[in-house]
Amino acid sequence: MQAQKTGDGEQELYAAHQKIYPREVTGYFTRLRMLSVVVLLGIYYLTPLLRWDGRQALLFDLPARKFYIFGLTLWPQDFIYLAALLILAGLSLFFFTALVGRVWCGYACPQTVWTEAYLWMERKIEGKRSKRMKLDKAPNSAAKIRTKALKHTVWIIFSLWTGFTFVGYFTPIDQLAAKLFSASLGPWETFWILFYSFATYGNAGFMREQVCKYMCPYARFQSAMFDSDTLIVAYHPERGEPRGSRRRGTDLQKAGLGDCIDCNVCVQVCPTGIDIRDGLQYECIACSACIDACDEIMDKVSYPRGLIRYTTENSAQGKKQHILRPRVIVYAAILLILCGTLLTNLLLRVPLELDVIRDRNTLYRETREGLIENVYTLKILNMDSKPHQYTLTADGIDGMKLVTDEPEIVVPAGAVQELIVRLQADEFNMESRSVAVNFYLQANEANHLKTVEEARFVGPGKT
Amino acid sequence: MQAPIPDNMPRSHLVISVLWPSFGTAIIATGLFFSAFHPRDLVPFDLDIDVSPIAAYSIGFFLFWLLGIVSSYGTLYFTISNARFVGNQEN
Ligand code: SF4
Ligand code: SF4
Repeated sequence: MQAQKTGDGEQELYAAHQKIYPREVTGYFTRLRMLSVVVLLGIYYLTPLLRWDGRQALLFDLPARKFYIFGLTLWPQDFIYLAALLILAGLSLFFFTALVGRVWCGYACPQTVWTEAYLWMERKIEGKRSKRMKLDKAPNSAAKIRTKALKHTVWIIFSLWTGFTFVGYFTPIDQLAAKLFSASLGPWETFWILFYSFATYGNAGFMREQVCKYMCPYARFQSAMFDSDTLIVAYHPERGEPRGSRRRGTDLQKAGLGDCIDCNVCVQVCPTGIDIRDGLQYECIACSACIDACDEIMDKVSYPRGLIRYTTENSAQGKKQHILRPRVIVYAAILLILCGTLLTNLLLRVPLELDVIRDRNTLYRETREGLIENVYTLKILNMDSKPHQYTLTADGIDGMKLVTDEPEIVVPAGAVQELIVRLQADEFNMESRSVAVNFYLQANEANHLKTVEEARFVGPGKT
Repeated sequence: MQAPIPDNMPRSHLVISVLWPSFGTAIIATGLFFSAFHPRDLVPFDLDIDVSPIAAYSIGFFLFWLLGIVSSYGTLYFTISNARFVGNQEN
């Protein structure tokens, strides 16, 4: 099924690009798709404006090296959580692809979502498919230039807003807006806003289906995730063929015709410009535009709907359909385990870190009382959203004393505090030249906020 | 045997096939690198230069991208030249 295209597909891959003018569609799946587009765009543009605890709710604050995800604050040390989150996203893609095919492509991929938005603007300004094609072919005139200029202006404004929002995920958006209006944006902020705007403008305005065809790795390895029970958009050749135009009321039996009236509407609506009647192709983003289009035609000629429809290879061939199959179960199991692990780890995560660095200049000193003294620099990282007061203790050698000049250890929320401490111990209590000691740090009013860190205590050694 | 890369492959596709994978790699590399190192600690010899974090990340990103471009271009170059070589031998 997949292979049938690749023989001459190679040739096609490198054929000169022809601009595609997707025809407008209406219908159930189109409405569903538009709903998804609107919701996703809404989420994208509005999320940076949400507030939480007096700060931006979702902010990957690169300058401050902190990620705020609603109530959670992640530090560079917590990098593993983000990596796990990305792996989780990748796995979900596998899972959903096995189950329902390329719904991601048709309904949720940013490439599709923004392309739809830009197409919508294009339609509002330049008109329907036939009008757009005529406009492009027409010689330059004042009216044509005006229409084109309007379209590009609207596109560019929308792109700039998109770029601004994007940068607003990485540096506080209110400050960014303030800087924008006082014309004091930094060079790099300006650069990234323009960079992302340009990428959006290019991808959604011009590249469109070519991104899916030539740049998207997912489209290429879809066959690895597909099986005969995966939901696909398919044409029903037994019912449709032989295709051909006909007069209303023709007896199909007598004329020897199938249900396809060969009106080509399914090709015209396709955003990737393929003919679904040629079978499953990797270019198909499963947007279901051809389903809605063909259903409308079927209604017009009063044939039953569903000549092009969502189906699976098995059910199209009249075989039994399996929703729960090993592949799906394995993906689901891995997904569940990973989700569970991530969640428990996040819940059990202690937002406190202690780093102990031994003084590198002197191994040890002897105090006036004849005790051995080691000096350490402690770095306390309070990753919580509240300030805390901590108690520091240490053990490892009998009678060891901990001395520090700070009367109390208070670390503000999301801050690092350095602290010099000295450990003093009697040489006779040391079992060897270098002994392991432990530092315990405990927040005073929060029992769960505690951590241990090991260090070495060095003495002159037994003589 | 047909050469694996047809000579009629548009230049734009070749350019994309170099720029695009290296772009993705650069994002991952930048993320990994800067979660391990703070830009402030990377200034060599205690030089007194003050770069904003955003500038540091951006420059880091472009350096990684450049590195990826060099690597992707190398792969492309060898693939094409080897394909031509094999093609010539068979003719
Ligand atoms: S829209 Fe339906 S009837 Fe028209 S050509 Fe396509 S498959 Fe045939
Ligand atoms: S073939 Fe149909 S479902 Fe596939 S991309 Fe084209 S219109 Fe969308």
